[in-house]
Amino acid sequence: MSVHPRALADALHRTIVGQDAAVEALVLALLANGHVLLEGPPGLAKTLACRALAAALDGDFKRIQFTPDLLPSDIVGTRIFDQHESRFTTVLGPIFANVVLADEINRAPAKVQSALLEAMQERQVTIGPQTHPLPDPFVVMATMNPLDAEGTYALPAAQLDRFLAKVDVSYPSRAEEFEILERFAMNETLPVHAVATLDDVRRWREEAHAIHIDEKLKHYIVELVAVTRERESHYIDYGASPRATLAIANLARAKALLAERDFALPDDVRAVAPLALRHRIGFNFRVTTENVGPAAILDRLIAAVPTP
Amino acid sequence: MARYRSLALAVTLAACALLPAAAQGLQRLTVTRLTLSASTLTPQVEVPFDLVIEAHVKQQVTHLENLDLPVLAEVELLGDENSIVAGPGGSTYTERIRVVAHHSGTITIDPVTLDAIDARDGKAKRYSSNALTLNVQAAGLAGPGSAPIDLFALLVAALRWLFAIALVVFVVAIIFVRRRRAVAPAPVAPPEPVPAQPVEAPPTIEERLSRARELLQASPTRTNVLHVRTVVREMVGANDAETLDDVLRRIPPHDVRMRSLLRALERAAFTHDDDFRTAAADVIRRLEEMT
Repeated sequence: MSVHPRALADALHRTIVGQDAAVEALVLALLANGHVLLEGPPGLAKTLACRALAAALDGDFKRIQFTPDLLPSDIVGTRIFDQHESRFTTVLGPIFANVVLADEINRAPAKVQSALLEAMQERQVTIGPQTHPLPDPFVVMATMNPLDAEGTYALPAAQLDRFLAKVDVSYPSRAEEFEILERFAMNETLPVHAVATLDDVRRWREEAHAIHIDEKLKHYIVELVAVTRERESHYIDYGASPRATLAIANLARAKALLAERDFALPDDVRAVAPLALRHRIGFNFRVTTENVGPAAILDRLIAAVPTP
Repeated sequence: MARYRSLALAVTLAACALLPAAAQGLQRLTVTRLTLSASTLTPQVEVPFDLVIEAHVKQQVTHLENLDLPVLAEVELLGDENSIVAGPGGSTYTERIRVVAHHSGTITIDPVTLDAIDARDGKAKRYSSNALTLNVQAAGLAGPGSAPIDLFALLVAALRWLFAIALVVFVVAIIFVRRRRAVAPAPVAPPEPVPAQPVEAPPTIEERLSRARELLQASPTRTNVLHVRTVVREMVGANDAETLDDVLRRIPPHDVRMRSLLRALERAAFTHDDDFRTAAADVIRRLEEMT
């Protein structure tokens, strides 16, 4: 019996209280064959959400805690000389897993970040003379603390662009926080068991890829991206790249699949646009000095484009 | 010239005192203001005046490194004092440079620059103030002794102008009054009776929907579906920026027919070609139910 991707989202909701947007973004990125970046202050269940997703899939899961002294070989692997065999053997790094949780990615220096992001893009790793393909499906879920936190390195724009979606994880509501308190007091954090297999994920991705996007919607997506390069120039140094166009389309297809439709709607596009655009727009210092949130500017940009 | 050379040397030394070697690294700052102003924009020759540099940063700092002053070649440097005040909102740096000009004319002073690491994004940046243009007046032009004479001359000139303007207004008024008296009002012909055109009332929204539905029934195409969708969205007061979810939020839950119609229209508007005929038929059926 085939499993619907909604079952995955439901499984995550049984573990995580609230954080609906983060949970949905994780599932959408998985369906759209992309990687996802979660940003928010510590303690907002970012890591728990990624762990729960990995547990809900019947695949390999690895967690890499990024630290300032981490080396690229700690991620991708290295070659070690075997004295008994008198030859070099390759030890694969923790990146060789179906779900990789890159925790606090912005605590590591640029060369380590780029080692991970190259692997994310190429879906293969070269160690010494050999190239090793990464497993399929391969999804990286990176968490990131806000840049003004102590001891963090900014991710370059070109590297942020590799993430299909970025989710800003916010504080829970009072009711949600109360439920968290109740659950943890009762020690009732429900473990998630595998609800889907890797074959299911591969099948969902094929189904998502086949979702129809009408011509009018394609124009709408192009307009949404173009408007980031044309408006709000007081706050924006550079707009979103064409990768954002593809990301919105792929996420909209995934959203339609979650809603059990084989065609996307303007609602799908509008709902996923912030996920694909937020980290691809170069907001300048006025956003901070004038206390205007990037989310508010993004909302204005999206509202400026008529829906089809 | 010798004075200018010594002045340039003095300014360079002052800048060097403020500029540590670049190799020592830049300060990590959030610069919110960097301005250059003068106590007067029209200084007098040989009358000292102040150039004022103000910078505000969000951090608590005791000094500002890498603040680069422009070379003040056209004025003589008399003195320089600076201070920095740190408070909860950051630190404000103020520097007053006392200078004097020896020649009249226009002086342009280049912007002040500050090199720092932007604390928001960790990038090295050069911040620039505004440039300053001063118009140095000759000493006798507005000196204290000549002020009464100038005022009297100004008063006389103003009175002359007022008299001339009053004269022109008086002449124009007389010409205007005479011409009005000379021209007799022309008899106005009564307007030709215009036969009343039958004005067709614009169709009501229900009539438009009915026509759109007939068109869709006759020819179930995507264009006709979109036409019906436009009319229905207009009926429920949807604007250009609203999606189906926005519109549905406004429709009461008990209005099941309208909600179903809106959903069916959305499907027919955006579904793939294989599903379109079924979707269009669904729209027609729901339209019939509504009427």
